[in-house]
Amino acid sequence: MERWWVLAFLAPTLVGLLLGTFGSIFATVGISFTDWDLLTPAKFAGVSNYVGLPSDRLFMKSLWNTLAFSGLYVPFTVALSLLVAMGLNRDIPGISLFRTAYFLPTVSSPTAVGLLWTWIYAEDHGALNAMITAVGGDPVSWLGPKVALYSIVIVNVWGAIGGGMIIFLAGLQAIPKEYYEVARIDGASVWQRLAYVTIPALAPSIFFQTVLTTINAFQAFDYIYILTRIGNGNSTMPTLVFSIYRSGFRFFRMGDATAQAVVLTGIILALTLVYFRLQKRWGEQA
Amino acid sequence: MKKLATLAFLLTASAAMAKTDITYLMWGSPQEAEAWKVVVAGFEAAHPDIKVTVEVADWDSYWEKLRVQFAGGTPPDVFAMDAPLYMDWQSRSVLLNLQPYLDKEPTILDGVYPATLTAYKMADGYYGLPRDFQTIVMYYNKDMFDAAGVAYPTDTWTWDDLRAAAKKLTVDKNGDGTVDQWGFWDGGYDMEPFWGALVWSYGGDVVKDGKTLIASPEATAAFQFFADMRVTDKSMPTEQQLAAFGWDGFLSGVAAMGLSGHWSIPEYSGVAFKWDIAPLPLGPKGRATSVNSAGFVIAKDSKNPDAAWEFVKYAFSDAGQTELAKIGLAIPVRKSVAESAAYLDQATKIDHSLYVKALDYAHVKPVFKGYDEWSAAVGDALHMIWTGEMSVEDGLAEAVAGGDEALAKNQ
Repeated sequence: MERWWVLAFLAPTLVGLLLGTFGSIFATVGISFTDWDLLTPAKFAGVSNYVGLPSDRLFMKSLWNTLAFSGLYVPFTVALSLLVAMGLNRDIPGISLFRTAYFLPTVSSPTAVGLLWTWIYAEDHGALNAMITAVGGDPVSWLGPKVALYSIVIVNVWGAIGGGMIIFLAGLQAIPKEYYEVARIDGASVWQRLAYVTIPALAPSIFFQTVLTTINAFQAFDYIYILTRIGNGNSTMPTLVFSIYRSGFRFFRMGDATAQAVVLTGIILALTLVYFRLQKRWGEQA
Repeated sequence: MKKLATLAFLLTASAAMAKTDITYLMWGSPQEAEAWKVVVAGFEAAHPDIKVTVEVADWDSYWEKLRVQFAGGTPPDVFAMDAPLYMDWQSRSVLLNLQPYLDKEPTILDGVYPATLTAYKMADGYYGLPRDFQTIVMYYNKDMFDAAGVAYPTDTWTWDDLRAAAKKLTVDKNGDGTVDQWGFWDGGYDMEPFWGALVWSYGGDVVKDGKTLIASPEATAAFQFFADMRVTDKSMPTEQQLAAFGWDGFLSGVAAMGLSGHWSIPEYSGVAFKWDIAPLPLGPKGRATSVNSAGFVIAKDSKNPDAAWEFVKYAFSDAGQTELAKIGLAIPVRKSVAESAAYLDQATKIDHSLYVKALDYAHVKPVFKGYDEWSAAVGDALHMIWTGEMSVEDGLAEAVAGGDEALAKNQ
């Protein structure tokens, strides 16, 4: 009897999950095997949408952009948020002020923050170039073709450190102080304590954070679009999410757009499985 | 008998009260929607049984909103159409064929500029009618010309004259080592306003029979001219430089010359500097500009197509076009109105007839299925020329490859 009540109370969430989440996942996969322009009935298209992806230059460009971006963004975000968390994991006066400062980008509106960064990166009257020219350097085209990728990674890492820091702070504070005492008594150096105590104890958090950061990397859109959009509504650095949006809602190709979404999901899934494998192996060694 | 008369009266009265509601969705600013209410008021006065709701969305969200409304089965009755995108909608059978209505009004198309009608004509009739049109002219900042001692543009100017003037007008006003005023500006993505006209005036063409033609020798020379100004002379601001001032370099007072349509006038009328307009300069093969129209279309699934048609007919009539002309954004499609005081004598005192005269040498902006996708592919490739990442030849080869791929996908 009680079991039925539990189910009854959970029903709103379960129905939402089933219809909303799973429903749209199944719909996405289903649409990806059709040609659908939102206006006329969908036509079954087999796997042609998938087969066509490698020769779709807008999609390929955004795929490479997303891979290059993720390759830099994920390691830097995880490493830097761990570093910041360790730096802020101590009892000094005003520590919460620092923690708040690092966490602020996480709770700020990406649009507002993105616009702020456009001003920082602006070529002629930007804050960064003003500093460089003040010390006699040549202004840099921060969002120009040569360095845009790095400029974009910096903004995104900056925006993500706060979220990662919170996870790592929680992980760090769960490590018993005795471990460090014992290590110190045994004469372990700072680096040895990091390598043999902190990192292994944090492994679950690092794993969790890496998976999360990878998902975010492949879904990155807002900062990148705000910083690299050009006059015709496009972007000098289109990402996968942008390509999906553009194919589906602007180019009348929902089938292609959903196929791209499925590929994106596949990439994230594959990477997550690799992480799981690695964690298992790492866990066995430790 | 008396009873019957009362009943008849009641029936008619209730029929008159049972208004037909239609929706008109358009892109534009909230101010434009407000201005449209004058047109709607004129219509509703003549048709007390129809009520029109005007909905407005900005350009980008307009097309999304439209798609979502169609996908959800609740399209607006009447909506605005940009002629180049017309085929994307017409070819998907979601628009009402207006020919049966037009057949009942044999003189309705008389006195309408033919260049504005061609886009909407299909083999079996019109699936839309032009609402208003735009030709591109040159806007120049008189204060900047005066300060630099450069003579104002004339109708004998060539593109080379424009280039020479632009160089003189590109200056570092405050002497901090950074240019803060440019001679000319253009984003360089869509063929409108600048590069389409440039290519035509060099004797080239843009798209024909499903092929992108912008890598022809004539077109290449035109793009070389553009690149010379933007990359070599640097008399045009880059995308990033513009972004710091807002997209429109002329409006923000950092570019001495810019090309645009009549739609810019309400915005430009508020600036602090003196400005005027001139026709586009002459190219090696004469003068060219582009003409493009915005139109009305009716959704095929509209529940009240007759009422929707009445509204379109009114806005397309002399009375409607006169009200539209007063909004000051666009050029009326009827010759009688475009040559009347309603259009020529507007609050902003410039030679409004220049936009109409431009029809003599204007090319119709191409209308084909997949325009948006084609324009994005071409614009992305051209952007790499403007940033210096690619040579003109390589950039054009990429633009043609991307453009043709987009065209092939939309066959």
